[in-house]
Amino acid sequence: MVDFDPAIINKTFETTEPVEVRADWLQHYCQVIGETNPLYVDEDAANKGPFGGIIAPPSYAVTFRNGRHFFEHVPRFGRRGFDAGKDVEFVAPIRPGDKITLSSAVKEIYEKTGRSGSMVFVVIRSTLKNQKGEVVAHIDHRFMNRP
Amino acid sequence: MSTILDLHTHSEASEDSRAPVEAYLNWIKLRHAERPLDGIVLTEHRQFNRDGDYRHLEDKFGQMVLRASEVETNYGHMLVFGVNDDIVKRFDFANVRLDAQTLINEVATMGGIVVPCHPGRPNIGLYEHYQSKPPLENIVAVEALNGGSRKGEDERSAELISKFGYAATGGSDSHLVSLIGLCATRFEADIKTIDDLVRELKSGAYEPADFRPRRKPVPQAVEVEPR
Amino acid sequence: MKNFEEINIGDTLGPLELTVTKQQCRDYAQIMGVAGIAGRFTDEEAAKKEGLPGIILPGNMSLGLLAKLVTDWIGLGNARMTRIGTTYRQPVQPDRPITIQGFITNTDAAERTAEIELWIENEDAERLVIGTATVTFGK
Repeated sequence: MVDFDPAIINKTFETTEPVEVRADWLQHYCQVIGETNPLYVDEDAANKGPFGGIIAPPSYAVTFRNGRHFFEHVPRFGRRGFDAGKDVEFVAPIRPGDKITLSSAVKEIYEKTGRSGSMVFVVIRSTLKNQKGEVVAHIDHRFMNRP
Repeated sequence: MSTILDLHTHSEASEDSRAPVEAYLNWIKLRHAERPLDGIVLTEHRQFNRDGDYRHLEDKFGQMVLRASEVETNYGHMLVFGVNDDIVKRFDFANVRLDAQTLINEVATMGGIVVPCHPGRPNIGLYEHYQSKPPLENIVAVEALNGGSRKGEDERSAELISKFGYAATGGSDSHLVSLIGLCATRFEADIKTIDDLVRELKSGAYEPADFRPRRKPVPQAVEVEPR
Repeated sequence: MKNFEEINIGDTLGPLELTVTKQQCRDYAQIMGVAGIAGRFTDEEAAKKEGLPGIILPGNMSLGLLAKLVTDWIGLGNARMTRIGTTYRQPVQPDRPITIQGFITNTDAAERTAEIELWIENEDAERLVIGTATVTFGK
């Protein structure tokens, strides 16, 4: 069975410094993903739209310092970690100029076996808030560790 | 009389599935011409969903919903049918290193049956373990068709079945709504309860049924009843 | 985009056929801030050293592509994608044609939501990434 200290579960291990959502980065993101929805890329159309201005595509929420840094704070089970999937709840839109803070806790740790061998899954839940303290998204990151 | 059941399915009670039971049943209803199931068996990963009560959904959709488990052993993954209190007390289903032979023998004694699934799959299928370890005893059937198989996996399962003379089942191993019922098992007898299912699985009177489309599946809109 | 009343279980999204370039992978890794620490997204040799066939798409980039299928379907309509879940089953490689598609698997009239199944498949119709999303419709 996986060996870890149960006290780490649901305990916030990190709250990041605010990260500013720069308008030019956002447009670069849209370009890379191929976004053409006017809500994200067309200022005039977005101003007249339901959000009163450009918003980030929802998927932008998963780009905030994803990945490796989590392992500095949570137990590692083996040499290599892979991103196995995400569950994201989008609560409110992210806008250019927002300053986003992530708070993260280990939600769950479990072991399973698959085609490629045994794996330990570490699920980390991050809550994203903007500068007003409003929650914009919850993200469950599922990381797979191979022994 | 006969009964067609998808013997290997995962609802959202399994950590890696996103399919609500109701959505499965609704999909079966919509696709019944192509996937003529009488019901499904929920085989949640590493657990037995003891308190699951799906009677209202069975009534609503006219489909049977039975409960079993998929556990992990030193010979790969196995479906356990007829899970009862004795079995749950005896085995920790969350343990991914259960001893397969002990499980098979003791589950049979306690009134259930163990069916190794996706035997042709690398690492978690019987075929690969048989290359380095003695074959297991007291196996009645293995899963011949698995809806999640990659190239070559069902072929290796077929080879194993023909070599050891096992009976053969089928199951979709569905983790998504649209994949439910793509593989199933056609029983000669009528099955209404989990006890019927265990009895029939022990009898060997069944065959796998393949409802997978032959070409690359392109989903089509289907008619639904007006809301 | 249709209203909630006009959508049906089984309605399709896509298919969207595309090929992601290696440069897009590198750009995405840069945006995510992992370009310097995760060579598998930016550098052929580093990826091969990890036992991968070459550069692969960051999982989050696949999420981005699946999300785009949903938000393109919504367009300027009175609805929002309120949830997405993804499972990265096999690596997605750049410079290979992929198809992204999905369909509605469930609706909830009380909540005015649609559940959508999504996936990225390769030329062999293998589902490399699977996911589900929830779209919530306005009144």
